[in-house]
Amino acid sequence: MDKRLSSVLIWLVAIFAIFAVIVFVLGNLLGIERFQTDSATLGLRFGFVILGLLIAFAVYFFNKDNKAWEVGTREVVWMAIGAALYAVFSWYFNATVFVVPSLSQVALRPAIAIPMFFGYAFGPIVGFFTGAVGNMFGDAITGFGLSPQWSIGNGLVGFIAGLPALFADRKKATDTVLWVGGVLALIATVVYFLNSGQTNMMFYDVNNGVFGDQPIALAAGISILIGLVLVLIVRFAFGKNVNVGEAVIWGMLGNILGIGFAAISDIWINGYSPAAAIVGEFLPAAGPNLIFAAILVPLLVGAYAAVQKQSGR
Amino acid sequence: MLVAWRYRKREHSFIQSFDPRAWIMFYGCFLMSTLAFWDVRYLLPFFGIALFVLLTSGVKWHEMRRAFLFIIGFVFIFAFLTFLTGRGGTELYVQEHLIRRFEASFSIFGWTPALDITVERVFFAVSQFVRVSSIAVMTILIPYSLDPALYGITFRGLGLPDKIAYAMDLTMRFIPTFSRDFQLTMDAQRARGYELEKIKGGLFEQVRKLGPLMVPVTIHAIIGSEDIIDAMDLRAFGIGPRTWLQNLIYKFKDRVLIGVGLAILLFSLALSVLGQGQFWVPPQLLALAGG
Repeated sequence: MDKRLSSVLIWLVAIFAIFAVIVFVLGNLLGIERFQTDSATLGLRFGFVILGLLIAFAVYFFNKDNKAWEVGTREVVWMAIGAALYAVFSWYFNATVFVVPSLSQVALRPAIAIPMFFGYAFGPIVGFFTGAVGNMFGDAITGFGLSPQWSIGNGLVGFIAGLPALFADRKKATDTVLWVGGVLALIATVVYFLNSGQTNMMFYDVNNGVFGDQPIALAAGISILIGLVLVLIVRFAFGKNVNVGEAVIWGMLGNILGIGFAAISDIWINGYSPAAAIVGEFLPAAGPNLIFAAILVPLLVGAYAAVQKQSGR
Repeated sequence: MLVAWRYRKREHSFIQSFDPRAWIMFYGCFLMSTLAFWDVRYLLPFFGIALFVLLTSGVKWHEMRRAFLFIIGFVFIFAFLTFLTGRGGTELYVQEHLIRRFEASFSIFGWTPALDITVERVFFAVSQFVRVSSIAVMTILIPYSLDPALYGITFRGLGLPDKIAYAMDLTMRFIPTFSRDFQLTMDAQRARGYELEKIKGGLFEQVRKLGPLMVPVTIHAIIGSEDIIDAMDLRAFGIGPRTWLQNLIYKFKDRVLIGVGLAILLFSLALSVLGQGQFWVPPQLLALAGG
């Protein structure tokens, strides 16, 4: 077994061990309620963790010779540029353009287009660094400390946006991703309709005395559906320019899985109910993100294609 | 052109007398410990540490005035919004004791805006203010007191691989530069009649209008990166294990700082696991509110 493979295996086993420690030592032995799991769902939970780790390992094993995993000088600089831009944009757009806080301080962020674009243009590693480190620095310069699960979630957005490079038949993979993303967006919307009484913590209208205490509005609840429609429009309107559609579609999947990861982990980390995490946190964050992505990512991909043509790199 | 953070060497600065690696580790422990508590009595010592570090940092008020006013303003607005809505606090307390209720004389679609002032909301806002401003103060001080020449070796010394440490180094250096570029682009677009404050139109139109800000800044950064990539390639970046210009060596006081940080963290986690430091309201106030 080569050294890299064994180190990846050790990492996966370590992650599993950490999870087991959290459940058995913190949950059962020390009796912390938040980490406890009843025996009925124990198998299910561990099953999901094992499944996740196996998927991660399979992605690594079948693609370990792919060029997308290489980190050279260019990637190091792009990582840094992406992360710095993401931090700066998050800071400016949080502070000067929109100040709309949500559960766990999620804000409307046009900056989300940056990890998606960097992931798509420069590969999954650059995308992950851009999202994760950019979010970390963005949070730090806004003065709110760090929330690791949101940094990893944002990292996943960029990581998944960079995955098309791994597929030989990119068109087929992208079409599959469009289906998967579409179905996930529909499921999230159904969850909204089943729990439409949840409050939307993102809506502030100080002039009218509304302070985030109104039930989630229809527009916010179905924003991810609006985003999906925009993605479909982009996909078919730019039929000839494959890159634009591809970037937006993979960005959509990254957005749903990455933000979903962060929101769902808040069920355990911050003790939200699943409905509050999905309707109060995931939808108001991922829905607008998707709208921003569908409009801004094509602009960035188009502008970068023009630069590439000029510079020949 | 790179723009730097406002670091300079300051004599008699407490924070700068430590190895940056030790300080980053202490900061990490401080951060996690603060996040373990909601009880204002437990949070006050952290606030005290933050104030001590601030007052002994040697950073002059005029140097950090802007950043400070912005962040404290932001923290204050957040705490105030929390106070008005009770948002966020509902996971920490179940029962609220009403002090006074203000109700609007009108209603929108059958919903009458009302403001309940309760003991819990007031204390939650206070706790949140103390908690977030402790973290904010410690965070603001880092760019002012960490030598940019040491970013890379600091992250390397914390155990990151060479390439990732260098990427972190570049990220920290690029942030002020891109911030300047963003301002310049905004001014340039304003000079051409683009008003960011008055973006009109529907949602899609508003989002699209952010393009003239984001696209030039991003593309300019990517084009500019070619020079840096060339410079790094010319110096054979990434060919072998990296050597750094400066070396960092732990002194005794650095080890003490790390030890103190770890002790605070372990103590805080232990208290938190035992159920201490949860949201707290003075019983006298509850009695006053009729609870």
